[in-house]
Amino acid sequence: MKIWHLFPKNTLQRWLPSQNEWSLIVAIVVALAFTAIVDTNHTYFFRPLESLRDIARNSAMLGIFALGAAVVIIAGGIDLSSGSMIALSGTVCSVTMLALAPAEMMAFQPVGWVVVLIAILASLVTGFFVGTLHTWLITVVRLPPFIATLATLVGLRSFARALCESSTAVLTPTKSAVINVADPVFKSVRDNVWFSVGAFLVLACITWLLLSRTVLGRHIKALGGNEQAARLAGIHTDNVKWFAYCFGAMTAALAGLFYVANESVAAPVNQGRGHELNAIAAAVVGGCSLSGGVGTIPGTVLGAFFLRVVIDAVSKIIKTGADVYEGLIVGGVVVLAVTFAQGMSGGQRDRRILPGTLGLCTIPVLALIAGSLAAMTTGFGSGLAAGFTALIALLSLRIYESRRSN
Amino acid sequence: MEVLSEVAVTMEGITKQFPGVVALDSVTLHVRRGEVHALCGENGAGKSTLMKILSGVYQPDAGQLEINGKKVIFQGTRDAEIAGVAIIHQELELVEELSVSANIFLGREPRTAFGLLDNKIAKKKSQSLLTLLEASISPDGKTGSLRVGDQQLVEIAKALSLNASIIVMDEPTSALTDLEVERLECTINTLRQQGCTILYISHKMDEVFRLADQITILRDGRLVCTVDKTKTSPAEVTGWMVGRNIEKHRFRRQKTIGKCLLEVRNLSLTSKDSSQRGRLHDVSFRVHAGEVLGIAGLMGAGRTEVLEAIFGATHSRWQGEIFLSGKKVKFNHPSEACDAGLVMVPEDRKRLGIFENFYVNENISLCSLSRTLRNGFLNRQAEEGLVAGAINKIGIKTSSQAAKITQLSGGNQQKCIISRWLLTKPKVLLLDDPTRGIDVGAKADLYTLIDSLCQAGIAVVLTSSELPELLSLADRFIVMNEGRVTGEFSHDEATEQKLMAAATLG
Repeated sequence: MKIWHLFPKNTLQRWLPSQNEWSLIVAIVVALAFTAIVDTNHTYFFRPLESLRDIARNSAMLGIFALGAAVVIIAGGIDLSSGSMIALSGTVCSVTMLALAPAEMMAFQPVGWVVVLIAILASLVTGFFVGTLHTWLITVVRLPPFIATLATLVGLRSFARALCESSTAVLTPTKSAVINVADPVFKSVRDNVWFSVGAFLVLACITWLLLSRTVLGRHIKALGGNEQAARLAGIHTDNVKWFAYCFGAMTAALAGLFYVANESVAAPVNQGRGHELNAIAAAVVGGCSLSGGVGTIPGTVLGAFFLRVVIDAVSKIIKTGADVYEGLIVGGVVVLAVTFAQGMSGGQRDRRILPGTLGLCTIPVLALIAGSLAAMTTGFGSGLAAGFTALIALLSLRIYESRRSN
Repeated sequence: MEVLSEVAVTMEGITKQFPGVVALDSVTLHVRRGEVHALCGENGAGKSTLMKILSGVYQPDAGQLEINGKKVIFQGTRDAEIAGVAIIHQELELVEELSVSANIFLGREPRTAFGLLDNKIAKKKSQSLLTLLEASISPDGKTGSLRVGDQQLVEIAKALSLNASIIVMDEPTSALTDLEVERLECTINTLRQQGCTILYISHKMDEVFRLADQITILRDGRLVCTVDKTKTSPAEVTGWMVGRNIEKHRFRRQKTIGKCLLEVRNLSLTSKDSSQRGRLHDVSFRVHAGEVLGIAGLMGAGRTEVLEAIFGATHSRWQGEIFLSGKKVKFNHPSEACDAGLVMVPEDRKRLGIFENFYVNENISLCSLSRTLRNGFLNRQAEEGLVAGAINKIGIKTSSQAAKITQLSGGNQQKCIISRWLLTKPKVLLLDDPTRGIDVGAKADLYTLIDSLCQAGIAVVLTSSELPELLSLADRFIVMNEGRVTGEFSHDEATEQKLMAAATLG
């Protein structure tokens, strides 16, 4: 970092990863290597291609709408609704196919590429509609973005479920909460990882170009950096917001199509539930600041990849379903990554980690987390040991800190 | 005059480094009890840093601190408050949503026997403090609804409630109107009579020479000297501050005034909320090519509202007519004004002007990005070329185009914003208090710049909270008071007294 500051920002530097991105690359390599060694089945050694495919697919699915989340965050907003948008998009896609080709859908037969195309378009248009609704709520009704998208977070999923149930009631013999999708187009998307990875990479390149090389991209950053100044600089801030929220919702709609393909079913009850937070986490780990104006696309791509690598690592190492621990991992990674980034920016080196009464009360909390995690994954005895070790370590840190400050 | 002997503050060899800069280099300061001690220096000279060390915000890298003859080490502002040092920052630190008394006792709220808040005691104590300051402020009122000058008095009351005997004021008058400045000076004299020691940061020479007993001048983090007020002159102090002598600016050379570029007829604005602010009644004026029109007036008189209405930046509806180069216009968005050749530099640089997440070049090129496009994409070389031209033309001091805008001094940030607009080749330039909070050297640069823009045939509308500045720059003046034009003067007619009278009476 220091070296770069000696030179003016030149072409070479612009093309090289930034410090945050380097840290993420190193972290990804370390996580992969660690898993390869610690995993008792050594999956990464024996089935490298399969492992890579899993991680790549999951990263791409997360990455697609993480890009949308990043654009919204860089524009100074937040979109909490992308998980529900995924569910709605999948439902709209399936319902469209069901409406246009009910016999084929029910018989698990191909519906024809025209129908598929119309269904995909319908999903993307739904994304545009949702983005427009968000922008209207935020700029005209003047709701804070957090509230507006919180409302659609709960509202859109409910809408998707109602849509699924009422259209199946009309179009099929029985009302259903899911719609099965067996079209070969979707099957081939599921079986060939390159569809999702390719879509993700193309979208990432487009978004990167947009943010770094277009007037609109510069206006998005200006809006996120200082909205009032942006307006006074002659930027149509409402239109820029409109673009950002539509981009966010449409990338989620695109991701929703891959969810349907991957699971061969549109299930609005659970599909994408809570995934909006993973997308926001990927953007934040990738260096986007929630106060707006700061963030990069390469960082977001690496952030999504890193998140999936760590989730995969835990599932490989502890052998139980990764989904159980996914929330814990995402939460932990966000805390560590942002703390690390803050520490790197300096100025807080002599800050105490466990100060005062709050610090004292935090010690058993952290020790409990460590102990119970170890107990649940490896057994009661090691849990007790881990909890005690953490307690002793934190207490010594506390004593060391209070000694140092005196 | 009694002899002030006892030393209240001693700072010996204070050194403070920030990444990349030595903010203070072995600075020594002695302040006697009960005196008003002025600290002068250009922005970045280290005045604020020195005072933040005195009030415990920063810890020095080297040097020692004595308060009332006792050696002290401040770990934080709390330690300084206990020792009797209070600081009133340039940006006031009040919670606008809370009442005046709640702000005064914030963090030290008086409590009843049951541990609940005792608002009665807080109110009574606040009232007595405010009476002491001769301020007519209700302790119940919401702090956010007070004017800046009154908010400052609340900060001073807060300092007194801490039993502070040493009060530091960091550029307290930068946001005040002349009337409020006068009242603040009375308050400072009252405080001095009660035995408070006051450290006063300012670069306004008239204030310093009215108030201070001793003057300390800093330059580039080093002590230049400490002198008795009676033994020096404003010109000499200014010279020490900048390290050279600045001759008084006189731009009254022959100007060629062209045709009328901007005419405003009966501009009226009724703001939605029925507050005093944001109302205009029948404001009319004309500005010609090559001319500077000065709009004088106290804070809240409607200067900013006029400029914002013309620029299309106001959200409220206005009546009246605006003609640009003889053509009737009505801008609904700043972009329309910009396209028509009318631009505005807003009053609050930090809040409305700069983008802290942008580099210097991105801050400058923002409004003329269309000129940097190649095949529809932004082109770095084109952008750098464009910006390099602007930097040279205006003389922006920056280490590189890719420096963070926040690393620049206030004056250079302001130059960046002005050059952002000049790149759009405007015909009319609205400048809303462009020299607020920037140092002497940068002010002189801005004066030269405004002058050269006039030479180039641009019409300039200028507001300023400093009357002498306005008087030396503008060719004609209108004076505003509570949203009305209460006076119009040519350059030869105008004096500080006349403008002030029109601004306060109406």
